[in-house]
Amino acid sequence: MTPQPAVAMYVHVPFCRGKCRYCAFVSEPVTPARAETVVAALIHEACQRAQPDTVETLYIGGGCPTVLPETDLLRFVTVLAESHPHVTEFTVEAHPAQVSGPLLRRLREAGVNRLSIGAQSFVPGELQRLGRAHTTADVAHSVYAACRAGFGNLSLDLIAAVPGSTLGDFEHSLRCAIDLAPRHVSVYALSYEAGTELTRQRDAGLIEPVDEETDRAMTFAAIEILAAAGFEQYEISNFARPGFECRHNLTYWANRPWLGIGPSAASWDGVRRTTNVADVEEYLRRIAADQEPWNEVVSPDPIEIACETAVLNLRRRGGIDLAEYQRATGFDAMELFAEAIAEHVQAGFLACRDGRVVLTTAAVPVADRILCDFAAL
Amino acid sequence: MTGPMGTEHIRNFSIVAHIDHGKSTLADRLLERTGAVSDRDKKDQMLDDMDLERERGITIKSSAVTMTYHRHGRDYMLNLIDTPGHVDFHYEVSRSLAACEGALLVVDAAQGIEAQTVANAYLAVDTHNEIIPVVNKIDLPAAAPDRVAEEIEHVFGIEREACIFLSAKTGQGVEALLDAVVDRLPPPADRLDEPTAALIFDSWADPYRGVVCMVRAFAGELVVGRKIRLMSSGRTYTVTELGRLAPMPTPIERLGCGEVGYVIANIRRLADVTVGETITDDARPAARPLPGYKRPVQMVFSDFYPGQNTDYPRLRAAFEKLTLNDASFSFSPHNSAALGFGFRCGFLGLLHMEIIQERLERESDVEVVQTAPTVSYEVLTSDGQVTRIDSPSALPDRSRLAEIREPIVRLEVLTTTETIGGVMKLAEQRRCRLLRTDTLGPTRVLLEYKAPLAEIVYDFYDQLKGISHGYATMDYDFVAFEPGDLVKIDILVNKEPVDALSMIVHRSVAEVRGRQMLMRLRDAIPRHQFEVPLQAAIGGKIIARETIKAFRKDVTAKLYGGDVTRKMKVLKRQREGKKRMKAIGRVQIPQEAFMSVLNRGDKS
Ligand SMILES: Nc1nc2c(ncn2[C@@H]2O[C@H](COP(=O)(O)OP(=O)(O)O)[C@@H](O)[C@H]2O)c(=O)[nH]1
Repeated sequence: MTPQPAVAMYVHVPFCRGKCRYCAFVSEPVTPARAETVVAALIHEACQRAQPDTVETLYIGGGCPTVLPETDLLRFVTVLAESHPHVTEFTVEAHPAQVSGPLLRRLREAGVNRLSIGAQSFVPGELQRLGRAHTTADVAHSVYAACRAGFGNLSLDLIAAVPGSTLGDFEHSLRCAIDLAPRHVSVYALSYEAGTELTRQRDAGLIEPVDEETDRAMTFAAIEILAAAGFEQYEISNFARPGFECRHNLTYWANRPWLGIGPSAASWDGVRRTTNVADVEEYLRRIAADQEPWNEVVSPDPIEIACETAVLNLRRRGGIDLAEYQRATGFDAMELFAEAIAEHVQAGFLACRDGRVVLTTAAVPVADRILCDFAAL
Repeated sequence: MTGPMGTEHIRNFSIVAHIDHGKSTLADRLLERTGAVSDRDKKDQMLDDMDLERERGITIKSSAVTMTYHRHGRDYMLNLIDTPGHVDFHYEVSRSLAACEGALLVVDAAQGIEAQTVANAYLAVDTHNEIIPVVNKIDLPAAAPDRVAEEIEHVFGIEREACIFLSAKTGQGVEALLDAVVDRLPPPADRLDEPTAALIFDSWADPYRGVVCMVRAFAGELVVGRKIRLMSSGRTYTVTELGRLAPMPTPIERLGCGEVGYVIANIRRLADVTVGETITDDARPAARPLPGYKRPVQMVFSDFYPGQNTDYPRLRAAFEKLTLNDASFSFSPHNSAALGFGFRCGFLGLLHMEIIQERLERESDVEVVQTAPTVSYEVLTSDGQVTRIDSPSALPDRSRLAEIREPIVRLEVLTTTETIGGVMKLAEQRRCRLLRTDTLGPTRVLLEYKAPLAEIVYDFYDQLKGISHGYATMDYDFVAFEPGDLVKIDILVNKEPVDALSMIVHRSVAEVRGRQMLMRLRDAIPRHQFEVPLQAAIGGKIIARETIKAFRKDVTAKLYGGDVTRKMKVLKRQREGKKRMKAIGRVQIPQEAFMSVLNRGDKS
């Protein structure tokens, strides 16, 4: 098997202003000198590994890219855009309190055409409990500023099941988000990651996770309320108006090759999954020494790839497209997973239609219990 | 010492005692005093030694020793027949007692009478043994020999003057005991002229010599080279070796009437001999077998499943090894939809079960998961047939069922006067009927109950210990099967009955037991995509219900490129977990969940 060229590039910016209480991502506070060094290293790695002919989507996330000094961010965006002529979707994650009209305009001019704004919630108490350093008004302002700057493709992130949240609170956030007329909404149920402040608080009994019934109700509320507003759930946590699905993320769920740049970023070329070192210092050292930035390499065998592809595909509400799957993996999914498919179809969690195997809506809150049967043969 | 001397010089006896009252120490002292064991080769607690010894190519098990004691100017042959080591096993005790004319009832001078003392004394009386009460440990500062003698008189009606006071530790009083054995225990009846009848009271397999039987000759004699017949099976064998254990094996040419010794006769398999069986002379057989003793029946059952370090074949091998020297333990493959492959094991009683568990671990190093013990029942069907069943699922259809009879035992509980209220309450909850109470001095009470065995096999002893702050002791002995208002509770998981969970209980506690079981199930069964109803039913009528709520949410919020490898690992592990589940209809239940519900360690 030979490596395939990447169709997407992701860049991890390892900086945040403060650490949100739920976040387990690699990030550190930023200083101007540090920002310059890191951006230089990111540009270096990106250029080294660039596949200008094939990359169609760019995505700068983190961390929080907008925490970078404006000049560094713009320089970086410009370099990336210029070196990837075929890019049709270029997303930058934006913090609601860190974007000004002029910055947004310059980003737009530099080639960014999609913004993902970390709104998280429209209930002030929830933002506080999450440790988010912005207000609900900041979110509205950043959305208006983005529109004025010419961004027609905006995404808002929301977090469901924040401790102390009620179904009413969550529905309120959904409606507020819809009122801002984004093209795309991501809804992530809060997960308590190891090592985060929120997990510590939960374990210490300081906060109480949302009860199960509410949690489940929120999942269905998101699907229903967003659907009523014209947003289709196209992946377990992602909703979009038709045509505004995140193409970059679809690459992951199709298990197509992509490049990941920056500390802790992962890449997949159809043969190997590599993961860059997470430690920023070590990352910088390796880039400076012109060494490979990854310290983890996994080469899944064809069956493992087939399993990964099935699991990732099933995250999409469009599920496994049997023809596409056969082309990509060489296997007939119906045959490979005959037992699991039969079992879950019978239980009402999978449906087979139009040459696809898809999760039913009932399966969404318990998707992992179904997906796990595709994780190995 | 054999031959034409008659039986006048023979005394056959055993020692019975509550655990730790000094039976083994006393036996050693007797061996020592009679010179059977010299100080040089004396081994601590000779009779207690379960390890099989090897001497002249035969394995010996010290189930009886022959001693010589000089008194009144002549030698007496004293045969001490051992009752098993560390715990009193009624069936083994009665097996030994059946071969004796007398029993030494040893009571600790500081502890006084305990529950086992009482149970053992009853057994001795039942088997027509003359009892010599022995008050041991009089050297202890806390010893109260007079009080104990008074207890003995009070409980057993044996005059206190009959007690021998001694210290097995210092040896003080041991001579007096030996004298009493000679003077007060009757010799065996002299029936040398009658056709041979010898009782097998113990047997074991020797890897080189085949089966070795310990026998007591009640009539006639056994002679090397003669053909013998096992009366119940009718099989015949030729005696190749006879001997006494003194305590080293000492071959003899003939084993006379009243004597005790071993017989080797080319018997290949342990299963070919049953303890309690009569050996007779093939040429001149006895008219009928010896009454023997109450043949023990398996009364307690429990399922064993392979545990952590063990697989099915290994567990089977371990059980097979155990049956080599314990014919009263049985096991048979048992496949439960809920629990997988295991074995249903039958025991004579609770202590027997504990010994087997212990031996399994000690001798074969296997780990097992064991279900709570149940008892066997007698079932009368409408056609008048009586059958024995050892599992609720074996109950015949209700339409054919006329009567269920449960095993009833005589239960002795000895406790302190302060805790008597709690003990009586527990007994009452367990359907025990008080037969008698006996006050032993100012602080102790003996309670005697008629009790359903089913109520005491599970958890009774632990509760008793708790209530009495560790003081109470108990013992029991099977009396009879008696009809009771017993019902079978079916447990339904998602409307489907689960065999392994059904139980036979008294109607008065059916609802409580059913509910307890459902509650434990509710906590143990993981959730499903759908609500799972749990029901307890008697013959189709629901008596209790519970519900297991549907799954909690189980979905990863974010899965993008960077998380694939880690997420796949997590999903694979989740899949493995799911595979260990056993399916009951559409309901998947991890084996561990069933175990936690059925495990005897899990107290309700
Ligand atoms: N002080 C004292 N201790 C004794 C006497 N007889 C036995 N023991 C001790 O009591 C404990 C139990 O004795 P053992 O013979 O093993 O009891 P068994 O369980 O009835 O066989 C041991 O620690 C013995 O050493 C005695 O006469 N005096």
